[in-house]
Amino acid sequence: MSGWEIFQVWLVAFLTLALFSFMYKDNPIYRIAEHIFAGLTAGYQVGLIWDTIILQQVWVPMTSGQWWVVIPGILGMLMFTRFSSKYSWVSRSSLAFVMGATAGIFLISELHGRVLPQIQDTMVSLSGEGGFGATMLSIIIVIGVISTLIYFYFSKEHKGALGVTARVGIWFIMISFGAHFGYTVMGRVSLLIGRMQFLIEDWIGSFI
Amino acid sequence: MRTSLPIAVAFISGLVLVVAFFFRDDSLIGSLRQEFIVWLTIIGGFTLLLGVVSIVRVSWTAVKRRKEGWFYKILTLLGVFAMAIPAVLPVSWSPLFGRSDGTIYDWLFNYMQSPMMSTMFATLAFYIASAAHRAFRARSAEATILLITACAIMLWRIPMGEAMLNMIPGDLPSWLNTYVMGGANMAVQRGIIIGAALGAASMSLRIILGIERMYMGKG
Amino acid sequence: MSFWERMEKLDRRWVYLAVGIAVIIPFILPTPLPISITTEAQSLFDAVEALPDGSNVMLVYDYYPSTIAECEPIAIAACHHLFRKNCKIITLSNIPYGGPSMAEKITRMMADQYGKTYGVDYVNLGYKYGYVAVLSGMGQSIESIFPADNSGTLLSELPLMDSVKNYEDIAFIFEIADNATADYWVSIVNAQYGVPIGCGGTAVMAPKFYAYISSGQFVGLLGGMRGAAEYEILINKQADAVKGMQAQSLVHLLIIGLVIFGNVGFFVTRSKQKRGAA
Repeated sequence: MSGWEIFQVWLVAFLTLALFSFMYKDNPIYRIAEHIFAGLTAGYQVGLIWDTIILQQVWVPMTSGQWWVVIPGILGMLMFTRFSSKYSWVSRSSLAFVMGATAGIFLISELHGRVLPQIQDTMVSLSGEGGFGATMLSIIIVIGVISTLIYFYFSKEHKGALGVTARVGIWFIMISFGAHFGYTVMGRVSLLIGRMQFLIEDWIGSFI
Repeated sequence: MRTSLPIAVAFISGLVLVVAFFFRDDSLIGSLRQEFIVWLTIIGGFTLLLGVVSIVRVSWTAVKRRKEGWFYKILTLLGVFAMAIPAVLPVSWSPLFGRSDGTIYDWLFNYMQSPMMSTMFATLAFYIASAAHRAFRARSAEATILLITACAIMLWRIPMGEAMLNMIPGDLPSWLNTYVMGGANMAVQRGIIIGAALGAASMSLRIILGIERMYMGKG
Repeated sequence: MSFWERMEKLDRRWVYLAVGIAVIIPFILPTPLPISITTEAQSLFDAVEALPDGSNVMLVYDYYPSTIAECEPIAIAACHHLFRKNCKIITLSNIPYGGPSMAEKITRMMADQYGKTYGVDYVNLGYKYGYVAVLSGMGQSIESIFPADNSGTLLSELPLMDSVKNYEDIAFIFEIADNATADYWVSIVNAQYGVPIGCGGTAVMAPKFYAYISSGQFVGLLGGMRGAAEYEILINKQADAVKGMQAQSLVHLLIIGLVIFGNVGFFVTRSKQKRGAA
């Protein structure tokens, strides 16, 4: 390992331990690392937007004859009027374009790409032709989807048959949230393993 | 003008994208749709810079007024400029400028920003363990279902736990994957997806029709 | 104060210490255990395996640096599998915090291992704002959304992109995600353009993605580090994820132990309080 590589490993190890030190208690080393992190994250975006949007999507096309890209460029610049209390209304049209166009894509894609395929896949056969296991699974899916929708999305008071179905919905939801919790534990532990792997193999390994 | 122009803009941009779905890509409206999408990526890109300007303004004000913790704000500002300036300077001036491999921007990302972000999220493992110890209680039938499912899934997803589950007759790991994950869990997730998607579609319609105007703010 | 009451009020830092130790032990004393393959991981592997050699595949790095530990092993395993099959890889990211940098670093590293050439065997499109717009726009023309690659080279100067104009030229999408962008690959790209999608997601996202597996909108799924470990085994390149699963085992057992311990304490204390009240 060269001196520069060793420096890099030690720098990462220092920053990792600085942030982990918060687990004991809040301290100035943690705060230093935290504020540098916030700054770097914001700075990362400046470089990214400058290059990928301002240069690649506005400047280059504009200088090669596509003059009309100046329109979204100006609309984008107008966003900064939000920092002025007097002229912030000017940014509304830019924001309205973003909101309207995004809504246009969403309106179709949510219905066509999510609602319909998910409902279609719930229209399963309960005739038992796939065997006991498959039929059980189909029953679980149909009851689970309907009861979840009733519990979450029907604002009518949960009484009578609706109340019973909503109650079944709660049990299904608890199973799903339990599974979610189990998976979330796995996810968070994985992230810790990643950092520990660095500290043990790369950092401690560099001097043992 | 202050309200009606944005509503008209939202209506036209939304309508073009909805209608274009039913036309061929090479039609006039198909071309207009593609142009609008490119515009959307450009205008929207600037919104990311709003956040950066905001963090610089807040930090700078704190430093100028010597507010509590102002020293840390200097570090935030240093972080912003250390990352941003070399990235926007022309590559022709130095190979260290720009965003590609071997630049200052790339180095700061690989050896500072990325490991710090990973560490920030890694600390959640400690909190989730502590929460499991303190708050995960079988206080009711529903809480018990949640708790048993969580523990079963945690066991199933690790090699050691899977070996334990395999000691019980009935192929429990496969049963958990088919009936719990692919059955009950999938059904609930599907219910949530359908509900959320219907909500998103109706909100989109409200925006296009100018009923939903919250994004305009006050004034 | 009884033992259980003391345990109820245990300083959380002891729990943190126990978790820390449980993660470290398997790195010092490794004890490999067999990892079985779920049907979801097998389906994803089979789908990639079934691609004709030299197919154009989109490898999407839709994750933040925060979930590198889960997603990077998936990305590396995917690159191994795709490059081994001589697939042409087109990478991109919808994540403004580090996505394009990670795509650049990992794909380049893996391409070097397989002797692949940039622009011919793989291309990194980088990032553009607004994932719904990007995904929707690429259906008509990739070049109009990404006029240049991540380092600013015009797409027209990259030989690979001569044959890739839109989704019609893409045989498969390998989406690696730690957030909701995966939902839009499903609702926009799969639903409207019919491109098959395989997903490597973080464990937090995996339970939701079972709905897309069932509806056939995802051909396969890798859930978190465990999913990555399964894929590493399937492609016969065992690495960080398989190694990490040993530590995962011990911490999961510790957490299950803490849950049981906490509940025993809860019931013992509650029954004592009830008896006291009576």
